[in-house]
Parts: sequence; structure tokens; C-alpha cells
Amino acid sequence: MNTSTAPAPSGTVAGDEPRRPLLRRLAETPEVGVVAACVVVFVSLALDKSTFASAVNLQGMGFDLAQYGLIAIGESLVILTGGIDLSVGALLGTSVILMSWFNVRAGLPPVLAILVTLAIAGTVGLVHGLAVTRLKMPPFVVTLVTYTVAQGVTLAITSGTSITGIGGTFSDLGQTYVAQVPLPLIIFAVVAVAAWFFLERTYAGRQVYAVGGNPEAARLAGIRGDRRVVSMYVTSSLLSAFAGILVLGRMGVGSASGVGVGWELSAIAAAVIGGVSLTGGQGRILGIVAGTVLLELINNGLTTLQINSNYTNIVLGCVLGLAITADRLRARSVARRG
Amino acid sequence: MTDTPAPAPGPGSGPGTAAGPGPAVSAASGAAQPAPAGDTAVSLRDVSKSYGPVKVLDIPSLDLVRGQIVAVVGENGAGKSTLMGVLSGTVTPTTGTIDITGQRLHPGRPDQSQALGVALVAQEFPLVGQLSVAENLLLGRRPARAASQRLGRVIVDRSGTRAEARALLAEVGVKGVDVDRPVERFPVPVRQMIEIAKAWGHRPVVLILDEPTSSLGPVEAERVLDLARAHARAGGCVLFIGHRLDEVQAVADRVLVLRTGRLVADLTPAEATEERMIREMVGAELARADLTPPPSVERTTTLSVRELTADGLGPVDLDVKAGEIVGVAGLMGSGRSRLLHTVMGAQPRTGGTVTFDGADFRPRHPADAVGAGMGLVPEDRKEQSLLPSHSVRWNVTLATLRRISTRGVLRPRSDKAHAARIVKDLGVRLHSQEQPISDLSGGNQQKAVFGRWLAAQPKLLLLDEPTRGVDVGAKAEIYSLIDAAAQDGLAVLVASSELEELLWICHRIVVMAHGRVVADIPRERFGKEVIMTAAAGSTTGALTQGKASA
Repeated sequence: MNTSTAPAPSGTVAGDEPRRPLLRRLAETPEVGVVAACVVVFVSLALDKSTFASAVNLQGMGFDLAQYGLIAIGESLVILTGGIDLSVGALLGTSVILMSWFNVRAGLPPVLAILVTLAIAGTVGLVHGLAVTRLKMPPFVVTLVTYTVAQGVTLAITSGTSITGIGGTFSDLGQTYVAQVPLPLIIFAVVAVAAWFFLERTYAGRQVYAVGGNPEAARLAGIRGDRRVVSMYVTSSLLSAFAGILVLGRMGVGSASGVGVGWELSAIAAAVIGGVSLTGGQGRILGIVAGTVLLELINNGLTTLQINSNYTNIVLGCVLGLAITADRLRARSVARRG
Repeated sequence: MTDTPAPAPGPGSGPGTAAGPGPAVSAASGAAQPAPAGDTAVSLRDVSKSYGPVKVLDIPSLDLVRGQIVAVVGENGAGKSTLMGVLSGTVTPTTGTIDITGQRLHPGRPDQSQALGVALVAQEFPLVGQLSVAENLLLGRRPARAASQRLGRVIVDRSGTRAEARALLAEVGVKGVDVDRPVERFPVPVRQMIEIAKAWGHRPVVLILDEPTSSLGPVEAERVLDLARAHARAGGCVLFIGHRLDEVQAVADRVLVLRTGRLVADLTPAEATEERMIREMVGAELARADLTPPPSVERTTTLSVRELTADGLGPVDLDVKAGEIVGVAGLMGSGRSRLLHTVMGAQPRTGGTVTFDGADFRPRHPADAVGAGMGLVPEDRKEQSLLPSHSVRWNVTLATLRRISTRGVLRPRSDKAHAARIVKDLGVRLHSQEQPISDLSGGNQQKAVFGRWLAAQPKLLLLDEPTRGVDVGAKAEIYSLIDAAAQDGLAVLVASSELEELLWICHRIVVMAHGRVVADIPRERFGKEVIMTAAAGSTTGALTQGKASA
């Protein structure tokens, strides 16, 4: 019933080149599957449960989407260079605690607490980037170290308790609505557009793809790939801390329990579902955003359908499995042609 | 001597008897074996190999006897590697039969070939870098001792492995190698010797050595030649693929010359003078391409290299003028690619100076070289040039991205127009510039890579094997591109293993051997013989300054 409605809205997303037939171009756009899946899932759920498309639920999804989406974009930027960043979730959790600690215990004003935390996160990203480019350490290992240490830092600072009494600036950022639209969602949209512009419209963005696609060819073509790689790790860590601001604002307390734990896997899953190749060099922001939206729709949809939350991960895992298989099959067919 | 280690042909030793009748079991230990010299070890009948319409090997009949060292010489692409591949079972011949010690070799069965007693020492060593020397030497088989022990078939016998590895290394004359260290920690010459020991460990009847001395210094090289002699004396058969003609002369009992896949000469040591071998390798057409291009208008010197050294290179002195096409000839491993990569800044330099376009030039990254006006078309298109899964547009604009952007921003329209211009200028045949570049043919891919660099309007273009894997038609187009660019004042340094190519397009050819320039040949004196003689590293005259190993 609703499968036929799927391609129509997605056509508006990628339509500016009036040379080849629209349908043909749609079929060749790798992101079309994810976008279609989002539409199908949304329409199905909305038809089945009227509460799903209610304003309150949509706003809730908007908040979720912002926090997952920001780290998914950071994660994707790193994956595009051919690396991986396992620390995004743990770093988000640590940022939440650091900000509340600086704000409450150290008595810094919220803005200063945010800036200091961003500086710390940026430094962590810089260390990641330098370890990967200069010392040629595997990104998996480098960021795994941070993942572990960051979780430890979070626990050490809080000893398991929450930090209460944070400044109003945080909730201003994390809980405000602009014309019924959550502010975090707007921030996410701005970041996504900025990332899109960087990747598609700047030469530095193109060089990121080149480094991920074939580092040696990029080097011999005179591209300083190391700089691109380092800057992507820094951006990823900064986006984690930035998402941490929104999370802290939404919760109202600096809590160590469950914040950011395992989120890096959601971020990687969103990237892969959106068509980002784990070998690097391939993937676009449209797909990454669509991948995040799809994960959020499924997650929220299962709750709306009142399916036991213990089953959620099974469904999400299966979706990821499907996406990876589809990606592999597509890559193989490309390789065959070549 | 006590019990000699029995010839232990790998696990599943089915036709092990074939290796039985006295191959060179511990030949180096001096035990004079009853050498059944004169017996046929290898017999080829009507063997040919074609790739599509191209016949790369065509041998109606060839017999190799025990007790001889047979040298095989020929130019690049003459069919030497194919012949070895056929014998060792890694290449399936299109037609014909091969008998090894009287037993029929099933085509494309490397394991059977090994069991019949063929051992190949390849140029590129298939050693497992992380495993220790001992483990590599006994890879795929067990020490002789293991069979006699309980559980010996299951459990790795470490001390036995070590002992046998040490014995093997001693036999091939390698001293001071810790057999417990991983192979990757040893330099290339040692690894080459380990590879030889590994082949030796299979107690072969037919020992195939593929340019075994190309990475060795004079002392080790002599040891390898001694080993070959010992093996032949003990009744084995050695197939020696040589590129240094002096070595071939020193070691061979018989010299086979291959040209374009055919056996063109079968010489005795007395007949095999250096001139004769080169003449047979090059062919009757006295290669002197006086067909093309106009002598360059002598202009300013674009590139001037003095005393340049790097890992495995130099010292090298070289000048390239604007509008001049200079060829770099030399054998595998002579340092052709290294020279280009060092000039480009892609390989760190250890000494010397480079003056580029009148200014001192010290690149720390290829980006510096590109910024200064150099371009490099590397040897391996797939690994070093292309973004294989990305569009033609992305590939051709890669080196000029910054230039076509305004304040870092790319505008889709000018981006596409720029790419379209490159593709059109170079005559790249494609459906759409958005298609992945891996969809194109090799020739069109290479033209796209040329387009990438010509769009950057460099002053110096470094070309490494510019027409490898390119069809004939595209080759001609690429040559005319190079020629046209040079007439516009571009300096070109082109390294190639195809002599015809260099003779065709270059104004001047420098010949490299052992990382140095050993000859500088102007167009008037072009000839394959001159180049081959210089490249083989023997007496070209005063230019060869001693053969100090690199």
C-alpha cells in the first residue's frame, strides 16, 4: 500500500541536475533505499498508531535525533577518512559530567564550563588524530583506549552519584522550543547542513574522501592527508562534547548512569545504514542523517507499539545486519563492473 | 656422517619416490653423490601460453638434463616468468605437456610440482613476515625428527624446527642469523637468502632461481652461485633466470635466450658472449628508432639534481631541460622509481641538492612538489593513482582542487566544466564523468591520470611506467600527449622498463644500475644494445664507478 508512496518524497531531496531521467538517477543514488525505508516506517507506524505522529512524540524524537545525530555525523567524518572512533559515546558521557562539575563544583559560569569542556574534548580528538597519523596506530585501538579511560573518568568524578544544581543556560539550550520545534533539532539541522557543505562543496571535504578512498594516491597527488585526518578526529570529539551540552540540558542533572554508553555503536550503525563504507571514502550526509532517522523511528516505534524493550536491540541489530549486507552486495557489484 | 635427513617432501607425500633417486641431499656437506648426470630432469613438449590473442610463451620442445645449470635470459616480457610459472605449476599452459623426472605434471598444480621436486625461488618472497625464520623455513612441512616421535605429527617440535632451520641456513652459507627472529626484521638480502634456504629445504631436483642476486651484494651473490654449482654437481638441475650477464657467463653450462615468448637461441658457454646474448635478446632489428620526435629546442634547465641520495638510491646527478624528454632505463630494482619518488618528495632524501626551476627545492611532502609545479604519474595505477570507486570527475580534478575552488569552496558548475575540459582535451572515452573510474579501460584510466596532471600545468612531469597495462591505441595517444606537452616547454622524466617506449619518445636516456646513473645516452647513440649493456652493469667504460653494493 505505502511502498508506492515511498520514492516520491525522496525525489525532492536530490533533484537539481536535469539531464538524465529522474527515476534513473534515483535508482543510482545509493541513499534512496534508506530514505525510502524511513518514509515507509514512518507512514506505517503513523497509520497504525495515531499517537506515533502526535506532536509530543515527534518532539521527543527530535530531542533524541539531535543527540544521536550529532555523534553520528562526527563518527561518519572519521569513518570517511578510513578510520573509526569508538570513543564518541564515552566522551559524550564524560563531557556531561565535566560540564556539570566545572559548573557546580568549580563554580565556573555555564558558558565557561562549556568552553573548557570543548577544549578538553578537542585535545582528545587531536591526540587521536596524531596517534593515528604520526604513530600509525590503528584507530580502533587508539579510540578504544579513550573509550575505557573516559568511562573511568566519568565514574571517578561522580562516584556514581549525579551532580545537581547546574546553571539555567544548559536547559535553555537543551529544552527550548522554537515554534514547537525543539532547539536541539534545529542545531542538529544546522550542523548537518554545515557538514554537507564541507563535504560536498569545499576542496578540503573532497580531499577527505580522497584520503579515505586511496591514501597513497591522495598523497602522491599532493594532498596532505594527515591534516584532513587529524581535523576529522578533532571534529568528531568536539561534536561529542557538543551533543553532551544538549543531553545535559535535557536531563537537568549531570548523571553518569547510562549516558553515552553504547552510543558509539548506534552512531556507527547509523553511518553504515546510511551508506557510509567502513573502508572509508564513501558516504554522504544525506544518508547519514537518514540512517539516524531510521534508527530513531524504529527505536521509538517499537516503544509506541508497546513491544517489550528487551527486543529492541534484536530488531536494531537485524536492521544493521541488513544494511551491511546490502552495502557489501553493492560494493561487490561495483567491483565486478570494474 | 650419520643418518642423512631423508628427503621430506611435504605432507601427503604421494609421489615422494620421484624425489628419491638422489637429488642434492646435503650436497653442500661435500658427500659426493652418484650423480646421474645426463638424465632428463624436465621435458617440455609443445608448451604455449596465451592471454587472449597474445601468445606469451611458445616452446615446441625443450629438455633440461640433470647436472647442468641452465641460464635463461631475455628482455622484460620475453616470457621468462611465464616459463617458470609453467614449471612450478602456478601458470596453467594453454597447450602442451610437461614431464618432470619422467612424471607428467598436471597443469596448475603447484603442490604437485613441488612434490615432483621443483622448487622456485621467486623474486618477490612469499615469506610470512611475522613468523620466525625457522618457522618460515619449515613452512608446510615438519622437521625430519618429528616423524619418529610420539605426537610428532600433531605437536610443533620447536627445537627440531630450530635445529633443522640452522642446518639449512648453514648449507646455503648464511651465518649469524637468529632463527627465532621474525623474518620481517631482516633486510631484503637476508630475506632473499632465507627464501633460497627454504627452497633448498624441499630437497628439489629442479631448482629455479629467478634473478636471485638482484637484491644481493657481491659476497652473497657469489654464495648463491656456488650453491647452484653444488646442486648441479650433485646431479640436480638448476634453472637460473639471470639479468646480470656477467653472472650468467660465470655460472651457466647452457644459455637459453627467450624473445617474445620464443626460444631464439640455445648457446654453449663458449658461444654465450655478452654481445651475442644481447644481440639474441634484442633481435635482428637493430633497434634504432629514428622515426620521431624533433630535437628539443634547448632551453633553461628545469630540474638539476646533484649528489642526490636516498634509501637504495644514489648518488645521482641529473639535469632535465625545459621541453626535454629524458628516459630512465634500468633493470628491476635499479632505482628508477626511487629516483622519481625522491625528486617528488614522496620518499625522504638523505643527501644532495635539487634545483627546480632555478630555486633550491626541498620537498617534505609531495604537496610541496605539486605546489612548486611537479606532477607524478606513478607506476601502479590502481594502488597509487586512482580513487577506484569514485567518479572520473573526482579523479581528474584531484590535483587541481584548490586551484578551481574560490576561497576553499567548490562550485558544482565550474567543477564539472573543469573536469569536462580535461576529459575532452585528453580524449578520454566515457559515458559520463560521474561514472566510477574503475569502469574505464586501462588506457582511458591512464589518460585520465595524465589529464589530472596536465590540468595542473606543471613544469616537470615525472612518469613511471606511463603505459603499463595500456592497449596499443591508447599508448600512441599517450606518447603524442607527452610529446605535445614537451613541445610546450614541459620537462619530462620518464622511467620505463620498455626500451622501445624510451627509444621512441625520449631525447636522451640515462641508464641506472644499483641506484646510480651509469650511462647517459644522447639520441644519436640510441640503441638497445647500448642500453642493455650499461644496464647489465658490466664494463660500459669509465662511467661505472666500481660495483659497490647498495
